[in-house]
Amino acid sequence: EIHIKEPIEKEVHPRLLPGELLLCEASTVYKYIQEDGSNRGTYGKLVCTNFKIAFLDDDSASDDNEPQFKNKIVGENDITLQCVDQIYGVYDEKKKLLTGQLRKYPEKLIIYCKDLRVFNFCLRYTKEEEVKRIVSGIVHHSQTPKLLKRLFLFSYASAAPNNTGGRNQTVMFDTLEDWRDELERTKGNVKYKVVTTNEGYRVSEKLPLYIVVPICVSEESILKYEGRGIPIWCWSCHNGAALLKMSAFPKEQDDSTSQMQKAFLDGIYKTISKPPYELLKTDDLSSSLPSLQDIQTAYTRFKQLFLIDNSTDFWATDVKWFSLLESTNWLEIIRRVLKKAIEVAECLERQHTNVVLIEDNAADLCCVISSLVQVMMDSYSRTKSGFQSLIQKEWVVGGHGFLDRCNHLHKSEKEEAPVFLLLLNCVWQLVQQYPPAFEFTETYLTVLSDSLYVPIFSTFFFNSQHQKDTNTSGESLKTQSGPFRFLTVWDWSVQFDPKAQAFLNNPLYAEKPKPDKSQRKTARFKHQRQLSLPLTPTKSSTKKGFFREETDHLIKNILGKRIGKFINSSDEPPNSFREFYDSWHSKPVDYHGLLLPRIDGPEIKVWAQRYLRWIPEAQLHGGGTIATAAKILDLMEEVQSLQVKMDEEHSQAVSGDLHSVPLLRNSARLSSLFPFALLQRQSIKPALPTSTWKDLEDEDDLVKRDDEFVDLSSDM
Amino acid sequence: MNGAAGAAFAGLPGELVLEEAAGARQRCGDGDGDGDGSVPGTLLCTNRRLAFLPAQAPRSRAFLHSEYDVALPCIRKLVAASSFAKPKVLTAASTLKFIPEELAVFCRDFRLLRFHFQENGLAPQAFRVANAIAQAREAAAWLGDSGEGHGGWSCPAEGPLEDEEEEDEEEEEEGSAATLLFESLRDWEKELERLGAAGWRVSAVNERFDMAPSLPRYLWVPSGLLDHDLKRTFAHFEERRVPRLCWHHPGGGDLLRAAGFHAASEPGSEDVRCLEALLLGGRGPCVLADAAELPTLADIQLAHLKLRALCLPGAAAEEKWLSALEGTRWLEHVRTCLRKAAEVASLLAGRRCSVLLQEPSDRDLNCLLASLVQLLGDPHARTLPGFQSLVQREWVAAGHPFPHRLGLLRRDSPREEAPVFLLFLDCTWQLVRQFPAAFGFTEAYLLALHDSSFAPCFSTFLFSCQRQRGHGSPHRPRSQTYRQVSGWRDPEAGAPGAGRAARGLPPVWAWGLRYSPQQRARFRNPAGAAGAAGPPDTADPQSLGRPADAWPGPGAGNVFVLAKGTLSPQPFPWRSGRPPPRLARWAPSLESLGERGGSPGGSRPPASPPGLLLPCAAGPSVRLWRRCYLRGLPEAQRGRFAPSPAGLAEELTLLQDRLSAWQARGPRTEPAGSPLAPSR
Repeated sequence: EIHIKEPIEKEVHPRLLPGELLLCEASTVYKYIQEDGSNRGTYGKLVCTNFKIAFLDDDSASDDNEPQFKNKIVGENDITLQCVDQIYGVYDEKKKLLTGQLRKYPEKLIIYCKDLRVFNFCLRYTKEEEVKRIVSGIVHHSQTPKLLKRLFLFSYASAAPNNTGGRNQTVMFDTLEDWRDELERTKGNVKYKVVTTNEGYRVSEKLPLYIVVPICVSEESILKYEGRGIPIWCWSCHNGAALLKMSAFPKEQDDSTSQMQKAFLDGIYKTISKPPYELLKTDDLSSSLPSLQDIQTAYTRFKQLFLIDNSTDFWATDVKWFSLLESTNWLEIIRRVLKKAIEVAECLERQHTNVVLIEDNAADLCCVISSLVQVMMDSYSRTKSGFQSLIQKEWVVGGHGFLDRCNHLHKSEKEEAPVFLLLLNCVWQLVQQYPPAFEFTETYLTVLSDSLYVPIFSTFFFNSQHQKDTNTSGESLKTQSGPFRFLTVWDWSVQFDPKAQAFLNNPLYAEKPKPDKSQRKTARFKHQRQLSLPLTPTKSSTKKGFFREETDHLIKNILGKRIGKFINSSDEPPNSFREFYDSWHSKPVDYHGLLLPRIDGPEIKVWAQRYLRWIPEAQLHGGGTIATAAKILDLMEEVQSLQVKMDEEHSQAVSGDLHSVPLLRNSARLSSLFPFALLQRQSIKPALPTSTWKDLEDEDDLVKRDDEFVDLSSDM
Repeated sequence: MNGAAGAAFAGLPGELVLEEAAGARQRCGDGDGDGDGSVPGTLLCTNRRLAFLPAQAPRSRAFLHSEYDVALPCIRKLVAASSFAKPKVLTAASTLKFIPEELAVFCRDFRLLRFHFQENGLAPQAFRVANAIAQAREAAAWLGDSGEGHGGWSCPAEGPLEDEEEEDEEEEEEGSAATLLFESLRDWEKELERLGAAGWRVSAVNERFDMAPSLPRYLWVPSGLLDHDLKRTFAHFEERRVPRLCWHHPGGGDLLRAAGFHAASEPGSEDVRCLEALLLGGRGPCVLADAAELPTLADIQLAHLKLRALCLPGAAAEEKWLSALEGTRWLEHVRTCLRKAAEVASLLAGRRCSVLLQEPSDRDLNCLLASLVQLLGDPHARTLPGFQSLVQREWVAAGHPFPHRLGLLRRDSPREEAPVFLLFLDCTWQLVRQFPAAFGFTEAYLLALHDSSFAPCFSTFLFSCQRQRGHGSPHRPRSQTYRQVSGWRDPEAGAPGAGRAARGLPPVWAWGLRYSPQQRARFRNPAGAAGAAGPPDTADPQSLGRPADAWPGPGAGNVFVLAKGTLSPQPFPWRSGRPPPRLARWAPSLESLGERGGSPGGSRPPASPPGLLLPCAAGPSVRLWRRCYLRGLPEAQRGRFAPSPAGLAEELTLLQDRLSAWQARGPRTEPAGSPLAPSR
């Protein structure tokens, strides 16, 4: 049972952002530290505003040490309303999902967050009135449908001072110039042009104001079907081959309409398959990749592995970790997406073929694949500003429906699908496989994924450029200040101070030495002879294979498959993919050239930083990659300061005092969950509680006890 | 003695080239291969190994080139393929009847080497070399315990090594910290001193191996126990392997290991006194940690076989790979070992007590557990020389039957094969991966050790115990330390003939024999703890419990058993069936502890003692050692060694050197004052 210490009545006030309003609050709420089954925790106040749910620790004042990495907008005990995934109430030890109206009020509240935090609040000591108000308030504001204009984004934008810094290097793609520059950068301007046909959204509200199309495509044809059936340029490869995307025509019942559409498409294909255009290859992503529904299902199952109530649950699932992981299918989806991106890269790079990605609205999987291909092929996309520009181009301006896909307004569950998260997961695989090739770190990707749920940035809170434009100017006449000035997520100084921002940059990023030495040559395998070995691709039961005489198995699998692989047998298309993949991987990596992810079985991994960061059982004190990263940062600092000193010595610019010895970073043992663990109370749980022994010492205390054994298992 | 390639091929003394085929190509070598991913060269079969001499390679100084060599016993399977016949597995009994175009060598260390023969008139050679390998492999099986079956291996240190030592020498900085082999009294004394284990002494009671044949010559036993009394205890343990000290925690805890109590022994009262003096010795309570929860030898072997099968290309569909991995249970075993070691290590760190690791034979999982606990608790064991000394003490000297467990023997008894040592290396790798900044060595080093365990040209893994190793030379009074990498050294080499009669094979720690300086440079972790050579962190009084005298004297003598994370009182088998009366009140319920710690807004839990690593054994944190196990996959052959911060560290040194050069010349002399400067 819980020991109630008389809570010290102390006024704690929530820190409110401009435009943030306190909606309801409850005091004497007990927040459990979730890490163990014990009822440890703290008392405090639970508040709900139009921006967040926040828990205010009663003795937060005693929190002396400021964490090294801290989000200035969303604190450790803050949950933005959009970040709430599900809320459960506990009634008599039974968990029940809370959605709309409530008749009974729970004694415990469990909040699962989209960034995978889990909060447990006990309301048993709270006044009944307050319980009612806070629970229904939280459920109402975070779980029920909402109007776009009620998003905190708007209150913040009208109340916050207009402090748009400007000097951001990210290309926003909201002007004609941005598109022209991009065409020029990729040398796509010979065959493609920016058109202004969609000004005033005459063509389609889903398309951006400016689109890039092949030069030979006429304005009429763009207007004809609201931009459907028009190949829209994404990016040009160094050899001139281009990556395009296209919205498919909806399935037509009417025969004549579909005939016309077909004729239209044929005409389009014809014009852009002629020289100077390269050969054309189309890829209908809606049939060659998992559906959005599949993706949503897989992710829902996957995240369940990490939303853990207590450590008992954790250890219960731990035994079957790998098979559980596999059964979610999430990693398999990542693999398929990466594979598709490699296939596209192969067409562009080696076959010099244009590739048109086709999808219903060309704004979901098209965005994933085209972004991935660019990250793999264009080293500019692996810099921070390049990656951000890419997200602007393909996703934000490109018309990905963030609002619907994240279900920010709780309009419809059906539309929800973690498409953008899928991209980040795929990019993470690349970052993790080739760290020196990226200017940003996995922490960058993690905080980017968290920013999906922070409604002070406009970036992820509109479905299209059109929606943003109409809502920026529209009703804002009422407010005196003219159009809203929204913040962009790319201004990282809003969320992090410079010290914390350092964790977003990769100190070991291998900067590009020369601008032109960019692409590697991919030589073909030369094999003179064809060996007639069995080529059976065995997916036979592996379990039996272990005990059978291995020989058969070996010959089929290794010699057959592998020798077969090296032989130039061009009987089926997948082989050209495989050959491309193998040949690339048999050479040393050029971090500024083409980068292909490894996608074989064991290579696709769980993005541990994002998914395991709140699970204390997975924490290592003084361990994890951060242990080396911290060392590297120290070394970097040292090297840089020495370089400065060298320069000074060299130029004989004697300037009285030398640069001070670089500040050593806090050399305390960081936890593997850093930078996220420090947000939580730091704790250490030894394998066997040391307290056992303290008690063994206290003889007097224990003489009267007659328990037969010490049970430590509950904690293990 | 060599054939045509003899000029380029630096063989071992007594090594004969049986067959060779020039113009072969090795596929997917690790070098910067040409476009087609193969390296041309000559394939040799000797009576020792299969060797490949790359045609253009600069004359390699390492006489056993690690990348292109396979020792014959390390070959697990040999398959020949041709376009005109079915691929065939070659054994001594079933020889080749066609001319092979490709030869695939499956190694026990998870490598897969593939040799390709070109057509231009070399066919007969290809045929002959393939058959020769199959025959030689059979003939080369190590005879093992008979002890005499050396097959003519003799000391390579005398031969081709001489000329290369000079060059290697200056590169080795860390030479001061030598690896202790634990063959001499001095090594045992030195290490005991480092541990600061007051109350323990080195006993030479087993100097002639007459007390316990499989135990080392010297044992660490309580100072208060005379050899005369110690002798009474041997009979009461399996294989006469008595409890002895492995490690002493600076906070007072002791780690001991022993075999199981002898089932039939019924110690008299005098014996009981000696036994209890040995086990308890007034040092506080004793916790027995047995190997019951750990995997059995059969489990380990089965899991390893399954893992090996899974790691072959195409063994499991990609989307089923993870559950297949789970099905091997290898990682489960790794996790169990890590968890158990963490329990023991935190017991030792948390309170002054002794933990006795008890395994029926004391020769397998005790080795693993004892070493793991020390890796977790002792920063010295995490340095490179410290780790080598650890392996030397807890495995080699302690009598782990390497030849049996690694399956290096002729098929005498396949049941005894169980790669316990490889399991230990995997556990160590997990620790290195989880705590990259805590170790002085790298994954590359572990990989080298993994591979070398199959190479029969090192003395380290060829014997089952010290007695066997020293067979024929009962006394070796010299302190035989091995100085890292610079080759096998005898400090008293001046005395002619003193030790030459003994086994002349170098220990595996002579890395210079198989690995180039560049490769060895990757053994050391620049980001790792800079060789904390002293005793482990001195006890922090707050976290390490009270000093020794706080333990109630008369209460000492408690015995607990650690099982399933639970401590329960347990009598020694020679005591009466009931627990001693005092014990009951020493065992509090833990439920109360939860409450106590759980006071709302409670104080922070205790910080972890410095120097103690507590690994995470949860599913997501224990990984597959892919650079080791997936080497057979062509996809995985690239980038075997991860990019390391070594380059950065080098740049730093360079800059510092230049800066000091500048400063030396310039008028102002400002100390660089960098706390990070590598202490060279």
